[in-house]
Amino acid sequence: MSTKPLENPYIPKPVTIEKITIENEAKDLKSFRLRFVNKEDEKAFTYKCGQFAMISVAGAGECPIGIASSPLDEGILEFTIKRYPTGVVTTALHNLEEGDIIGVRGPCGNSYPMAGMENKNVVIVGGGFAFTTLRSTIRYMLHEKNRSKFKNITIIYGARSPGELLYKQELEEWEKRNDVEIFITVDKGDENWKGREGFVPAVVKQVAPGSENAIILICGPPIMLKFTWPPVLELGFTPDNIITSLERRMSCGIGKCGRCNIGAMYVCKHGPVLSYEQIQELSERP
Amino acid sequence: MLKKADINKFIAAVMNNGYKVFGPVKQEDGVSLSELKTTDDISFDYFNFILPPKRHFFPWSELLYKYKDKTIHEAPLPEDKTILLGIRPCDARSFSFLDNVFIDDKAVDPYYQNRRDNTIVISLACNQPLPSCFCTSVGGTPAGKEGTDILAYDTGDSLFFEECSERGSSFLKLYSKFFSTPDQADVQAVKDFIAKAEKQVLSVNIKNAAEKLKEKFYDSVWDKLSFRCLSCGVCTFFCPTCYCFGLYDERDRRIRVHDACMYKGFTLEASGHNPRPTQSERMRQRIMHKFLYTVENFGKIFCVGCGRCVTACPVNMDIRENIVEVIG
Ligand SMILES: Cc1cc2nc3c(=O)[nH]c(=O)nc-3n(C[C@H](O)[C@H](O)[C@H](O)COP(=O)(O)OP(=O)(O)OC[C@H]3O[C@@H](n4cnc5c(N)ncnc54)[C@H](O)[C@@H]3O)c2cc1C
Ligand code: SF4
Ligand code: SF4
Ligand code: FES
Repeated sequence: MSTKPLENPYIPKPVTIEKITIENEAKDLKSFRLRFVNKEDEKAFTYKCGQFAMISVAGAGECPIGIASSPLDEGILEFTIKRYPTGVVTTALHNLEEGDIIGVRGPCGNSYPMAGMENKNVVIVGGGFAFTTLRSTIRYMLHEKNRSKFKNITIIYGARSPGELLYKQELEEWEKRNDVEIFITVDKGDENWKGREGFVPAVVKQVAPGSENAIILICGPPIMLKFTWPPVLELGFTPDNIITSLERRMSCGIGKCGRCNIGAMYVCKHGPVLSYEQIQELSERP
Repeated sequence: MLKKADINKFIAAVMNNGYKVFGPVKQEDGVSLSELKTTDDISFDYFNFILPPKRHFFPWSELLYKYKDKTIHEAPLPEDKTILLGIRPCDARSFSFLDNVFIDDKAVDPYYQNRRDNTIVISLACNQPLPSCFCTSVGGTPAGKEGTDILAYDTGDSLFFEECSERGSSFLKLYSKFFSTPDQADVQAVKDFIAKAEKQVLSVNIKNAAEKLKEKFYDSVWDKLSFRCLSCGVCTFFCPTCYCFGLYDERDRRIRVHDACMYKGFTLEASGHNPRPTQSERMRQRIMHKFLYTVENFGKIFCVGCGRCVTACPVNMDIRENIVEVIG
């Protein structure tokens, strides 16, 4: 039989919560900056943009969360987590304080095709709090070590209201840069909002990013995805150059527990990143 | 050949070498696969065990770790040297299917692998298939060797042992003093035995099921099929190839327990969204998983035709009829 595993993939590694940031007005989105308790765990945890990890709170359980930091953010890991009123783990997480210790298992799943995006124009479209792994990707591409590898970078990001926009400070910094174009929109603004209003698919149409030598990454709630595919296809993006990330309820995160499949595809193992082309080939259309 | 009269001695010798032996033990409600304490209650008079033997590699519930003083204390990995004696060939075959899932080159399940590595499977060919059996329709036979180390045939007074893996051969060599060389008549007896048993197994026409199922995803047949189903999950509990599980925290510990695609909560997300909201999608998942998705992923139909789900279902759902109805 096969060789012994070096690591037990079910055992989380301890991390300390270094910083908690409340991200939105509704206060149900918090970002957690984590640091590994053991150096060797930190070294072993090498990840790519688009991957996720299983986050453990002792006594509550575990849940899959996309990695929001960039692989180049040394020493730390960041996650932005929405609390669901009925959600056992996410509620437990939101009740924790800086200095508390939780567990991380992973990284899990595949990643965005970073190598395939080099020397191409990259368009990023995000809606709601599914923006997290896109933020990881943007941070990675905009890093001084990497920026020259990618051609034009265009970001379209939308939230329900101004108070629901994530990473506000970073958005401002990106807006100031001249090597990235960013379009922020809200479904409905308030009295202080001077920016764009409108749904993400409509903004995609207005901005009309070119599809020539381009790849487009789209993450958002199912309803946004449904209305974003048509304009993106109309702009001439080919199905293999349209990339998204899927979600399914998970437990093991390593392709064993049988929970997260869409047809023969296990989101935790074959995904979560899939092209529009791959999605079209699934027996079950998500 | 091993004389049945000598089996006690053989098993005592195996136990002396530090093995735990699980074998067919006669109990009030039938023969079950139990740990042998004394050797005199072994019985070869049974059709198949009521419960699937998967639990020996993948227990109903197991402890992964305890959480004490802010640190994780891992449960030791199972190391017991074990013999499973009397496993039917369909069930032995299920082990090779579970290997595909749990021992995959990307991520190995250490609990499963350790148990598998430390266990020798001695299966027992079927001489009397049940009316609910259909192993030959899904690629097995009453004398199949897949997933086993040693296959035994019950020839009346004796057991004929056939080596099916290297592990099986080296194991048998250690105990050669208990065995005699089979003669021509023994070999013929075994051949007759296989031919007779194979004829008795019911045949179900599921040719090209995978191909046909691809066209049936969005079909109303699932509504019809699932109409009677209670969502009780018994079919998956009894199935030797069903392996779905969940990881849960219980106060200070993390455990793993079996779970089932037939339950509504299996895919229910925290937001309230459920990709399989009714029993229709869940029935479709169970059948598609066994007859299409595993064929796509591993080239295998994940059903060994043991018939347990057929006999166990409280509302008499019969997977043989179901699949035929779906693929038409
Ligand atoms: C690949 C991936 C990336 C994700 N990234 C993020 C992220 O960056 N930020 C964020 O806030 N949320 C993310 N989610 C969703 C998040 O996993 C769920 O909100 C979370 O599991 C709810 O857990 P709970 O214990 O609070 O809920 P409960 O309803 O109590 O859930 C019980 C268990 O079910 C599972 N579960 C429930 N809902 C989901 C779900 N939607 N997806 C997967 N498993 C679920 C978990 O294992 C959880 O422990 C992601 C999901 C996936 C699959
Ligand atoms: S699906 Fe039914 S017949 Fe097939 S292996 Fe499972 S329990 Fe046995
Ligand atoms: S045993 Fe029968 S009733 Fe129960 S879930 Fe399975 S098919 Fe449905
Ligand atoms: S989460 Fe267990 S198989 Fe994907």
